[in-house]
Amino acid sequence: MPLRLLKYAWQKPEEEPRFFPDEKPLKKAYDVVIIGGGGHGMACAYYLAKEHGITNVAVLEQGYIGGGNTGRNTTIVRSNYLTAEGVKFYDQSVKLFEDLSDEFDLNIFYSNRGHFTLAHTDSAMRTMRWRAEVNKHYGIDSEVVDVETIQKDIPYMDVQCNGQHPVMGALYHAPGSVARHDAVAWGYARGAQMRGVEIHQKTQVTEIKTKDGKVVGVQTNRGFIETSKVISMVAGSTPRITKMVDMQTPIEVFPLQACVTEPVKPFMNTIVVSGSLHVYVSQSSRGELVMGASVDPAELHSTRSTLDFVEGLTDQMMDLFPFTSRVKIMRQWAGMSDITPDFAPIMGKTDLEGFYLDAGWGTWGFKATPVSGKTMAYTVANDRNHDLIKPFNLSRFEEFALVGEKGAASVGH
Amino acid sequence: MKFVSCPHIGNRALSEFTYGGALRNEPDFETVSDKQWADYVFHRHSEPKTQQEWWYHRPTGMWFIFTRNTLTDVISQVELATEVCTKGALNEA
Amino acid sequence: MKLRLPPQPYEWLDRKQIIEFEFEGEVYEGFKGDVISGALWANGVKTLGRSFKYHRRRGLLSFANHDINALFQSKDYPNIRGDVTQIEDYMNVRAVNTFGSLKHDKGTLVEWIGKFLPVGFYYKAFYSPKFLFPKWESLIRTMAGLGKVDTAWGEERKPKRYLHCDVAVIGAGPSGMAAALKAAEQGVDVCLIDENAFIGGSLDYQYANEPEQVSNRKRLKQGIASHPNIQVVSSAYVAGYYGDHWLAINTPQGLIKLSAQSVVVATGVFEQPAVFRNNDLPGVMNASAAQRLISRYAVKPCNTAVVLTANAEGYRAALDMQQSGIEVKAILDTGERLCRWVQEAESSGIIIYKNVEMVEAIGKQALEGIVFKANGEQKTLECDGLLMSVGWAPAGAPIYQAGGRFSYDSTLEQLLPSLLPDGVFACGRLNGVFDIEHRIQDGEQAGLNAALYAKREPLVDCLDFRAAQAHSHPFPIWEHEKGKNFVDFDEDLQLKDLKGAIAQGFDNIELMKRFSTIGMGPSQGKHSNMNGIRILAKARGQSIDATGSTTARPMFHPTPVSHLAGMRFRPERLTPIHTFHQQAQAKFMEAGAWLRPEYYRTGLPRKMCIEAEVKAVRNSAGLIDVSTLGKLEVFGQDAAELMDRLYTMRMSNMKIGASRYALMVDDAGVVIDDGVAIRYSEEHFYVSTTTTSSDSAYRMIQKKLIEWKLSATVLNRTGQLAAMNLAGPNSRKVLAKLTDLDLSNEGFPYLAMRQAKLSGYPVTLIRVGFVGELGYEIHTDASNGLAIWKTIMKAGEEFSIRPFGVEAQRLLRLEKGHIIVGQDTDGLTNPFEADMGWAVHLQKPYFLGKPSLSKLKVMQSRTLVGFELLSNQAEHVPLESNLVIEDGEMAGRITSIGFSPALDKHIGLAMVDVALKAIGSTLHMRLSNGRMVQAKVVETPFYDPQGLLQKPQETLQEEVA
Repeated sequence: MPLRLLKYAWQKPEEEPRFFPDEKPLKKAYDVVIIGGGGHGMACAYYLAKEHGITNVAVLEQGYIGGGNTGRNTTIVRSNYLTAEGVKFYDQSVKLFEDLSDEFDLNIFYSNRGHFTLAHTDSAMRTMRWRAEVNKHYGIDSEVVDVETIQKDIPYMDVQCNGQHPVMGALYHAPGSVARHDAVAWGYARGAQMRGVEIHQKTQVTEIKTKDGKVVGVQTNRGFIETSKVISMVAGSTPRITKMVDMQTPIEVFPLQACVTEPVKPFMNTIVVSGSLHVYVSQSSRGELVMGASVDPAELHSTRSTLDFVEGLTDQMMDLFPFTSRVKIMRQWAGMSDITPDFAPIMGKTDLEGFYLDAGWGTWGFKATPVSGKTMAYTVANDRNHDLIKPFNLSRFEEFALVGEKGAASVGH
Repeated sequence: MKFVSCPHIGNRALSEFTYGGALRNEPDFETVSDKQWADYVFHRHSEPKTQQEWWYHRPTGMWFIFTRNTLTDVISQVELATEVCTKGALNEA
Repeated sequence: MKLRLPPQPYEWLDRKQIIEFEFEGEVYEGFKGDVISGALWANGVKTLGRSFKYHRRRGLLSFANHDINALFQSKDYPNIRGDVTQIEDYMNVRAVNTFGSLKHDKGTLVEWIGKFLPVGFYYKAFYSPKFLFPKWESLIRTMAGLGKVDTAWGEERKPKRYLHCDVAVIGAGPSGMAAALKAAEQGVDVCLIDENAFIGGSLDYQYANEPEQVSNRKRLKQGIASHPNIQVVSSAYVAGYYGDHWLAINTPQGLIKLSAQSVVVATGVFEQPAVFRNNDLPGVMNASAAQRLISRYAVKPCNTAVVLTANAEGYRAALDMQQSGIEVKAILDTGERLCRWVQEAESSGIIIYKNVEMVEAIGKQALEGIVFKANGEQKTLECDGLLMSVGWAPAGAPIYQAGGRFSYDSTLEQLLPSLLPDGVFACGRLNGVFDIEHRIQDGEQAGLNAALYAKREPLVDCLDFRAAQAHSHPFPIWEHEKGKNFVDFDEDLQLKDLKGAIAQGFDNIELMKRFSTIGMGPSQGKHSNMNGIRILAKARGQSIDATGSTTARPMFHPTPVSHLAGMRFRPERLTPIHTFHQQAQAKFMEAGAWLRPEYYRTGLPRKMCIEAEVKAVRNSAGLIDVSTLGKLEVFGQDAAELMDRLYTMRMSNMKIGASRYALMVDDAGVVIDDGVAIRYSEEHFYVSTTTTSSDSAYRMIQKKLIEWKLSATVLNRTGQLAAMNLAGPNSRKVLAKLTDLDLSNEGFPYLAMRQAKLSGYPVTLIRVGFVGELGYEIHTDASNGLAIWKTIMKAGEEFSIRPFGVEAQRLLRLEKGHIIVGQDTDGLTNPFEADMGWAVHLQKPYFLGKPSLSKLKVMQSRTLVGFELLSNQAEHVPLESNLVIEDGEMAGRITSIGFSPALDKHIGLAMVDVALKAIGSTLHMRLSNGRMVQAKVVETPFYDPQGLLQKPQETLQEEVA
């Protein structure tokens, strides 16, 4: 029994400190307004306060804390990207994740599982090796492993895939982990609030006011706020925000769906991804198999579920794990992914003074939560793009200087 | 599972179609500036709205233009792409 | 079967068939038709399972197909639902998630330490020191989960069925049956779906003893049975409502996908438990559970009952118990009320306490008594059954999933549909209608409107039959200082857990759910969400509507993967020459949906097989099946203009009867496809695409054709035509045996196209040289493909012709320095980077991607180069995707590499920084194991740089733009 639990024997629940204070009225003005109370927004607020001493900050969330993609993803954390830019950036994120529980004094259940990305074709094998080589170059623990090694680690997987597209090998990424997604947002939120940041839930931004090419404030459903700095950290809602400032981005929004099975006794300890089969799966500490696939085929700003998704996913999953045919799918849901043409995010300053973007997270926003918060906080505090995010600036598109992350597999979880 | 009610090929499952992006006007290549071209190639007005979109019907090999709301997913009109493009009725903002 | 009652009028049992089954090592008897939980209860087994967290004994709670504490495990299936799965002979099940056995579960230890485990305890411990977390996590994972999967289980798939109807009615209770019948009477096709084995719903268990309902029952059931327009789908639940009135219906036989024009939701209500200390003791159950036990399975819920009620239905339940010979000690009414059932209960002599407050249930292994307060006085009653009748929550999943909304009605103290999407109708108790006659009428008007909607006719106005008084307690929750008052039975959450979550700031319904996990278990909150909302609303001092409710996402009940997946349907495409490949021992590889020979097995190792194929092509003749290439015909007035716009090179000036390399980029200038174009006539072209992009290229070309408003037609002939490539110095001699065509260099020069006959079969011949030898690509109707192939093989016998596969071709083309799109290019490679600037004709007024290429041309930072390894030692040979390193930094990667038998060295292509592109520069390559090797940049083609072999002597002068 961990000592930390002993106090609960005689303590009443009401005596636990609150994570989030009661609702407060909005102030007239803030130094910084963050739109979006998901993991990214909370992390940014946290680092603004903690590392830059900027505490007169409001995080405005139209729903509830962590209610968007933060609470809808499949919680995978990894850094086995294809480009130098991607690898360096996500490696920072992994390192930050590893220490978050201690930093927050809150267990985010950061659980190191190891991550297999299976290759079923020789072209996928080439991509896996490419990623492995780039990863190793930057000191990331990734390697291409053969079928025998995979079979040793995952003895219950049918590497023959029922006779079609057998597994030829995999990219094994030892640091691949899962974490309790909500706890990450809560930890940042609590830490930010303890340092003076205000979080306002059910507060929707309806307009961003500018004057002479500069941001001067935001209109919300609860009134007007003066501010000279606005950060949009709203993932699938990005086009609605950029529309307010008449800014064009390459982002298109596609639903990304996921589902979980009924809890069964944990048997799967690793994370398994197959780009060819459009499947990724891990088993949570509750015993549910958490599964996802690629994004839906058409643009849609909605979190509706489709049968096609769960039919396709289960069909493909059985190629790898035939015995799961007897497990039941309990729940399915969707998030809205903000996809960019080069599968890399859009971060940093924009042409509009005082307006900062953190978007284009596609299907991998969760794993970037700490590093995006940290680098965006730096960027806003210094009004200068952090080195790690320079390659991700919005201007790269008109400069034709895209990030080559698209070379990676089509399913990038 | 969605159905598409088409005046030409009847009631069809949406799964028979492949999405081809919003209908947009390609800028005139003779006068286009670099910035305008980059805008065309990369940038999108993708806030939720009703828009005209390309949808390819695989069994018949025909392109259609759907008028669809990207918030509600309601498809309000289905037309042959050839007809829409001949009319020159591109309404992209 | 000591608790079995005599036959009940509407029971679901076949008493002629006695079934023996095993539970936890003991053998029990039941009747055919019994479900596991019911049969065990009939045998006096009250501990059916253990709770998820504390491993407390649990019995029946709702007996409504979502009793999560009675989940069973067989050797073949995990998580078998006891309240819905029928017993079978030789069935052998155990309770899930026990340590040891159900009776002696070591997991109960957790309850002892339960006070150290407040809500969200796992967030508050185990993480420090960090190195210990994996140990704690492993312990948590051991405790987690319910049933156990056996990874040796084989794959199971159930076929799916499709159904179409005008009106789908979900739920075959009184209102659903009435809706179905009324709709069918309008002449539309109706599908009536119910999750139970038989229709009837509460009419049969709540009104089993009401003589007035005999006629309704008869009219509805017979009407449905005899109506030709009604199809009943029973033992089937709607797993999800998906867009456009599609219902995914799960049945024991598999999934049904039902498309309807309109949907009537008559799913009724879930009875909600009361929350008080020890409300989870076996013997405490919902009143409707007790009624179902009796009327469906003729099982006595208990011997002596107390009914806790907040509505009239509780009195009905008490009367039903009495009728079944159960002693009803008392009815405990949380308030007071007046209605027919109350009067009947009073006159039957049952003691009724009014304005009761629950204190606790008592008992060790099962319920032994209850403690309550009436008129300020605490009383204890001995009983082995407590029936809870304190309220209802709508089974609103289909409405939520269709985009509808619910709002709280404070008269009824229940959530009611407040927004129904088009074509979705609600009726019955879900709709707040409780009087049985009204429920039937409400069903009829919903059925009528659903039929009218399906017929596209105007709807009629509906009467409001909603009840005028509450059938639910506004707060059926009683605190107790010692706790153990469970709100969520799946997740073992007590009242204090929710209060703790709220106190810590998780005071938004969604945050509370996520922090406490209420409603996240396998019943998805069917018996816990409503109480959770009530607790939060009260804590925050706000209304239920302001507190909000969580939505109900699919699945309604957990649904087997085998049903959702259905049968495996993965099309494979075979070329017309496939049977030859099979006979020739081809090792196949997948290329998109196609199967292609990778190489032909001769009994030698793979590498030697491939080398032999390569040598055959270089020294004599080889034949490869390229039928998988995309094959498009382009014709019409603007065909030439279209070709010019699609490809980077000029196509309009191609001579009739000539061919030309065709490279395609996208709007952003990225290489997406290549192939060979030929010109049949002024307005008729034929062009190939790569295997994997044949569909997307065709689709894109059609789209561009429309956008550009050109007058041309594009036909995708990929599957209609076979294609093969005959290559090698002797290929002309082979061909000469089969055709009269003038094959001389003058008569059929390099890059020319000819239409001819081969052994009588009409073919198109193109003299191309992808592999760098004299060669002919032969295109013909698919039906002639195999015959021509065999004819060529036969004619080539004297030259030792060999079939060759994709691997040999890869090496052959590499020797020529030809790229493979997708291997030597990536998702951003433009033609300049691919060292194919020669194929980009920027002088053309316009082509796809031209504005981007104009810009990219001057921005080039990397390029494809040819290299040869300086050492041939096997352990020093890098692999494709190994990196090129310069000054410690990444400077590129190998995209292709292979051993060239012709050159006796390893050659390859690498995408490197432009600084390294000079011929003769050294490339430092890092092997996967970290070792560095050196290579030298060399000119390409590596083999026959002048191309003398593929186009000896004079050639047709084809200007390469």
